[in-house]
Amino acid sequence: MGEQLELLQGTLDLLILKTLALGPMHGWGISQRIQQVSQEVLQVGQGSLYPALARLEQRGWIGAEWSTSDNNRRAKFYSLTKAGARQLKKELGEWERLSAAIALVLEQS
Amino acid sequence: MSFGKRFRAIFKASGAQSDLNEELRFHLEKEVEQNIARGMSAEEARRQALIAFGGVQQTRENVRRVRWSHFAEVLTQDLRYGRRMLLKSPGFTVIAVLTLALGIGMNSAIFSLIDAVLFRALPAQHPEELVVLKWHARHRAKNVGNRSYGDCAARITADNPSGCSLSLPFFNEAGSQGLFSDVAAMAGALQLDISGNGAASIVNDGQFVSSGFFRMLGTKAAAGRLLQPSDDVIGASPALVLSHSYWQTAFGGSAEAVGKTVRLNGQPFTIVGVADANFTGLTPGHRVDLWMPLSTSRLVTPRWTPEDESGKLWWLVIVGRLKDGVTVQQAHSALTLLFQNLTEHAEKPYFTEADAPNIEVLPAQQGLVGGSKNILQPLYLMMMAVALVLLIACANIAGLLLARSAARTREIAVRLTLGARRGRLISQLLVESLLLSTLGGALGLVVAHWGAQALWSLANRDGSGPPPFNPHLDWRVLIFTAAIALVTGVLFGLAPALRSLRVDLAPALKTGSGSSDAGAPRAKWYGMGNTLVVAQVSLAIVALVTAGLLVRTLRNLKNADLGFDSDHLLVFSLDPILAGYKSAQIDSLNRDLQRQIAALPGVKSVTYSWTTLLRGWEWDTDLHLPGTPAKEAANAHYLPVGPGFFATLRIPLKTGRDFNAADFAVAAERAALPPKAKPDPTAAPLTVIVNEAFVRRYFPHVDPLGRHLDPGPADDPNEPRPPGWDIIGVAGDAHYEDVRSEVEPTMYAACAGNASFSVRTVADPLAMIPTIRNLVNQRDNNLAMSHVLSEDQQIDQQVFVERLVARLSSFFGLLALLLACAGIYGLLSYEVTRRTREIGIRMAIGAQQSDVVSMVVRQGLLVALAGVVIGAAASFAVNGLLAKILYHVRVGDPATLGAVTLILLVIALAACFLPARRATRVDPLVALRYE
Repeated sequence: MGEQLELLQGTLDLLILKTLALGPMHGWGISQRIQQVSQEVLQVGQGSLYPALARLEQRGWIGAEWSTSDNNRRAKFYSLTKAGARQLKKELGEWERLSAAIALVLEQS
Repeated sequence: MSFGKRFRAIFKASGAQSDLNEELRFHLEKEVEQNIARGMSAEEARRQALIAFGGVQQTRENVRRVRWSHFAEVLTQDLRYGRRMLLKSPGFTVIAVLTLALGIGMNSAIFSLIDAVLFRALPAQHPEELVVLKWHARHRAKNVGNRSYGDCAARITADNPSGCSLSLPFFNEAGSQGLFSDVAAMAGALQLDISGNGAASIVNDGQFVSSGFFRMLGTKAAAGRLLQPSDDVIGASPALVLSHSYWQTAFGGSAEAVGKTVRLNGQPFTIVGVADANFTGLTPGHRVDLWMPLSTSRLVTPRWTPEDESGKLWWLVIVGRLKDGVTVQQAHSALTLLFQNLTEHAEKPYFTEADAPNIEVLPAQQGLVGGSKNILQPLYLMMMAVALVLLIACANIAGLLLARSAARTREIAVRLTLGARRGRLISQLLVESLLLSTLGGALGLVVAHWGAQALWSLANRDGSGPPPFNPHLDWRVLIFTAAIALVTGVLFGLAPALRSLRVDLAPALKTGSGSSDAGAPRAKWYGMGNTLVVAQVSLAIVALVTAGLLVRTLRNLKNADLGFDSDHLLVFSLDPILAGYKSAQIDSLNRDLQRQIAALPGVKSVTYSWTTLLRGWEWDTDLHLPGTPAKEAANAHYLPVGPGFFATLRIPLKTGRDFNAADFAVAAERAALPPKAKPDPTAAPLTVIVNEAFVRRYFPHVDPLGRHLDPGPADDPNEPRPPGWDIIGVAGDAHYEDVRSEVEPTMYAACAGNASFSVRTVADPLAMIPTIRNLVNQRDNNLAMSHVLSEDQQIDQQVFVERLVARLSSFFGLLALLLACAGIYGLLSYEVTRRTREIGIRMAIGAQQSDVVSMVVRQGLLVALAGVVIGAAASFAVNGLLAKILYHVRVGDPATLGAVTLILLVIALAACFLPARRATRVDPLVALRYE
């Protein structure tokens, strides 16, 4: 396992939205996907995951539905809403601009 | 997530928590599975998973906080936004809040009055335990005297009568059946003459109560003590308890009142105490001024006989608390048995078995409805009027909000495009409206407090005196106010909010609010704004026409030809029998007083009569015209009058003569006979003066002078009949009982009994009152004057309902007119703003200022006219309901309608003035660029 990095709240939201853009998923699945894709760098524990999911649900960017998981147990599946998709696009744009700007500053020296 | 779902989610907290728990459990189990898949043992897998999992309590807290903080954040945002929008247009905000305060406040005021009458618990400890007894039967009881004082809804009809007045023997027996832990009886006193405390006066609201009354209710004393069992024993020194308000008004609230001796109908009583301020009597709406022990009724009631304490007189209302373990059913059976026993097996039975008399045991709150019915009617009337005022206010504010929201179309379109959810926008707009209505509601409570008093005096027939209940703002009224504020806010906020969201995005973004080639939504708004204003105008018309008709009715009533001169006339009544006079003495008393009053400077003339004219009292008698079939009865009004009656009241004597000393002597003789004496057919007939209506009805084309009238046909032809009447004169028609009805055939006779005085004064009649009071007091300080007022005031009391409706509809109409005017102004000024570009174009291509003005004015007048037409039609319908109280003015009266239309058009023109002026100030160059 890699080091656990402190994730900003907004960044976590972005990661969750991006993950859900691929399709509906339950909470554990989201944290697993983020972990795998980031090659074990980003580990999202339940302590940060579920408050973030609640927040996104309140804002109306994701929707939730109870359904059965692959091993026939009940789980809450989250999915991206239309407003969420718009928000994702907006935040991706901001993220790109931000990281580009930071890269520029760091290149200087 | 929509507003609704989010809102509901907050309150499904427990459900949400269990949801979260299940999610966390699932998450943990998956972790464990993964660990096992990596090769750990089951226990190790679980241990590692738990370590990695971390604390769950914190997570729960965080999630909960997220949900709440989001809701609070949104609400705070909405409130701040709403406050900013309201502060931006302070004029609108102030007007809206004041209008709402008035509307909501008046509704709360009425509700607090109705609440005080209907819902307020009885002023006793554990009022839910109190029961009252009510008798029922299939037919009316025979040989029984029934007295009720309006404590419960009695029906003394031939079929299925009921009532709660019962006899003293029944009360005594009912109390000794072991059914009650406490039982008491109360009975109203007839008029009481109270003297010994300054000038003698009349008390109309005295009450006799049995010994356990105050103890049963748990009433407290404000001074001294209340009545005890030792007071209600025959031979005990008569004790008296004052009510708090009577103590304040008659005794100045002084501590010296306790222990003072006063005389009630000549009988000395000692005041032993004053009741607590909250206790105005047990029956709601029925104010009591003083309480006396039941056993003193024999000392105080005029013409009391021992029969009054037998089963023959039903006069007591019985209230009690059932003993623990005694059910209502048991009490009902036991008491019914007792009642049947007493009534069916009396010497002269009051009921037969077939009448099925029974006693119902009712909760006192239900049974003692008392005078509330009379009070409730005008209150309900006012509640409807006030609710309508509120509706108009809502319509007005909705219109203004529509105008404002239409101005914000562009802003809303932009926000929608950027992704704001409609639900969010609606909730924001609603919060704004609710903010307005909450402010209005809070201010409305102040209005309600003041308004309750004002409305009470409006509804109260006597116009003065404290209400017999305290309309204070208790929790029920507060909840009602809050509910009304909420409903109002949603009512006027929802339509504009929804309307403002049905915006076609593309045209709204392009053209903003300045274009006249608006998309469909704009045209529809225009329609709605117009409709609201037309509705306001119609309502204003209806109210004003009603007001106009009623004001004219009142004027007609006041100016009606009464047949006598009602100017500068003072009236008052005396009841010498209460002061201990015997019938024979009353006549000389009246004569003496008449002479003495006539000698006062400031008095032109004085007379007396059985009742003063237009008091609402009326006496009529059957008679038989000689020459008509024996069984045929004629009927006429009957009024005994004193010397100088026609001269003082200025009723012309057409033919014949006035009464002379001989006539009065005969009358006095007749009055001096004992009440049960048999009539003597050979005695001299009484002389009467008839009015012209009598002559027209019974002696058309014949001279009535000298004619004889027989008394009405008797049931038993063998019974001796009184000698009848001789006609000695004919007087002009004069109204007797009321102003409205046609003058009936009337017979005036010589008066020799209790009378009321009519005094013609030189100056203001009310100014003579102290002097005359002094005079009466000096003659006999036990003699009380009652019902002292000017004839004009007396006539006013007659037209109470007409006055009430006239005042209501005038106030209502004026308010509606103002609101309609504001509505027209708002509509037009918005239109000018909206069509600024169009106006600019017109002016640029050569339109004159007058053309622009006429464009604005034309629209205003069209709207007003539409409202007038609809309002006129509606007023026909509404006023059909009022046809009964109109007097000499028809429902569709063109003059009233015309006057109201004119007023409204003038107001509409005035409302057009400012917007039209603004339209002419439009600079074409600026307007064309205006967006």
